[in-house]
Amino acid sequence: MPPVTTTATAAASTSPEVPADGLVVVVKQDCPTCRLVAPVLGDLGATVYTQDDPAFPPGVAVRDDTDLDASVALGIDVVPTLLRREGGRETARAEGWDRATWRELSGVADLGADLPEWKPGCGSRTHDPAVADAMLVRARGHELAARRVELAGLEDEAEALYDRGWTDGLPVVAPTPPRVLRMLAGTTRAPDEVVAVVPPNLVPATVEKVAINAVLAGCRPEYLPVVLAAVEAACAEEFNAHGLLATTWGAGPAVLVHGPIARRIGVNAGGNALGQGTRANSTIGRAVQLVIRNVGGGRPGEVDRATLGQPGKVGLCFAEDEEHSPWEPLSVERGVPAGASAVTVFASEGPRGVVDQISRTPESLARSLAVALRGVGHPKLAPGFDAVLVLSPEHVAVFDEAGWDRARFTTTLAELLLLPPEELARGADGIEEGMPEPTRPHPKFRREGLMVAVAGGGAGKFSAVLGGWVGGPGGSSPVTRIIEEA
Amino acid sequence: MDSPVTVVLDPTDESRPAARTVGPRPDDLAGRTVGLLDIAKPRGDVFLDRLADLLTERGATVRRYAKPTFTKPMPTDLRAEITAECDVVIEALAD
Amino acid sequence: MHDLAALEADGIATTFVASSEFVTATDAQARALGFASVPAVYVAHPIQDRTDPEMAALADEALPRVLAAVTGAPPTA
Repeated sequence: MPPVTTTATAAASTSPEVPADGLVVVVKQDCPTCRLVAPVLGDLGATVYTQDDPAFPPGVAVRDDTDLDASVALGIDVVPTLLRREGGRETARAEGWDRATWRELSGVADLGADLPEWKPGCGSRTHDPAVADAMLVRARGHELAARRVELAGLEDEAEALYDRGWTDGLPVVAPTPPRVLRMLAGTTRAPDEVVAVVPPNLVPATVEKVAINAVLAGCRPEYLPVVLAAVEAACAEEFNAHGLLATTWGAGPAVLVHGPIARRIGVNAGGNALGQGTRANSTIGRAVQLVIRNVGGGRPGEVDRATLGQPGKVGLCFAEDEEHSPWEPLSVERGVPAGASAVTVFASEGPRGVVDQISRTPESLARSLAVALRGVGHPKLAPGFDAVLVLSPEHVAVFDEAGWDRARFTTTLAELLLLPPEELARGADGIEEGMPEPTRPHPKFRREGLMVAVAGGGAGKFSAVLGGWVGGPGGSSPVTRIIEEA
Repeated sequence: MDSPVTVVLDPTDESRPAARTVGPRPDDLAGRTVGLLDIAKPRGDVFLDRLADLLTERGATVRRYAKPTFTKPMPTDLRAEITAECDVVIEALAD
Repeated sequence: MHDLAALEADGIATTFVASSEFVTATDAQARALGFASVPAVYVAHPIQDRTDPEMAALADEALPRVLAAVTGAPPTA
């Protein structure tokens, strides 16, 4: 990922007329060093640009650069800067006041005889945060294609964004052009590139539209590659986001982040990984949901027909704790090269905790977890819904210490979850719900219908089950996408 | 007087108007509860009395509300009361 | 206008009736609140010196427009 640029200095597209040949000085009145050197500026035969006050320095013909276009074009970091240009290219530069260098550059032997030998300069106004936004918009605003909406003066910003139907009910960050441009600096992809065609209305979402929704959600620019990959995954055919929305079941798209990007941008895989308090976790999944809502048109009460829904539908995102897990990462099992960053988007309900503080053998603990997993959807329905088991560090340690790897654990779970027909039949156990006339054992989960990820704080013999939705072609399959920019 | 504006970028598919719009309306008022909100200016009550009769003749249930003063937006509890009780509101009479 | 904006936000179809003197002020306020147009109904100014029968006649005259403002397809920008 490229470094996130928050000023336009690295990306200026304007090219005002700066002299092709000769000496150029850039100053600002609000700088003691510039005021110190003001008396000598008339002796240089230089073109003088002033960043803040066109009347400074007095008595010298200056060019007004209060819009900073020339300063940006010249790449000014410090004022005063004296530079020599030859044939349209810069051949020498002095930053701050350095008498010997200025004399050498200007060829004026007695330049500044009354001045001290050396005095450092001040920061260029191009680095002033107060003007950075305006400069950014001037330099790159033309890249933005989205409709500009004016919020009227009497509208409260948070109320106005809610009233336009752009939010999930929580306040959002106003997607102003500077914020969206800063967000777009988080990716190398072009703003007009189409990321995905978003259900349910099948609307193409550009990188820019995703960035706007990422701003709404509260993302930082460095999260954008994850959001883009997650949007792409959520819009994949096999994920079936339209079906997931339209079902009365309450699951929604959840985002699991794999690989080094998770640590780099701060996706929590430790304590409270499924909870609140970590910005990346709280906003990445929310950005995906806002894209589906705003671009795709998937809104509760319209296409979204959930009977109850669940709080994870605001956005659910966490990472596998690959660093502390004794096991091969889930992403590798799913075909991602070791060390690569990726996302897996899966249909998820809210998490349900599983207590087992007693089991010290892997056999016992596996049976505990299997019993808990059986409850996904309904204990008498199999196979049906997919699920994700989030195994806590204290639980995975029980398996690791006994020499069980991921494959042995999941194979054992599958065996324990092969459910006998007499327990599944409609009417069995006095419950009318169940399988119609089962004659053979049924696996609780289809093949690949159960994913296991390791996450959570160091203390607590508690894991969690994230129930899903109907797995496979008739429902939704988890989708993994490598984050190419990571 | 022009107020300062904030410009934001539209996060949607841009298929709907950018300006705020009012919500859907019922097809007619028969069987609906119509709130008549008196903004408490002189003579407005006479106008609303007549409107109440006309709406009742057309099958609407009329409920009357009054703002404590026309100089301010209605209080929150009045808003909640009206929202809970009415399908439609007619506010009158500003002059 | 603020009342209309608040009640519409609550999902209540709302109109308000004002004298014709208020057209300009209402439009300005509507724009300031982000509406391109609002379903207001205007009656002839002045109001406060009218007799009861005149007020009733004003209501009779306004009724079709009041009904149009709160029923059927919402007004668009």
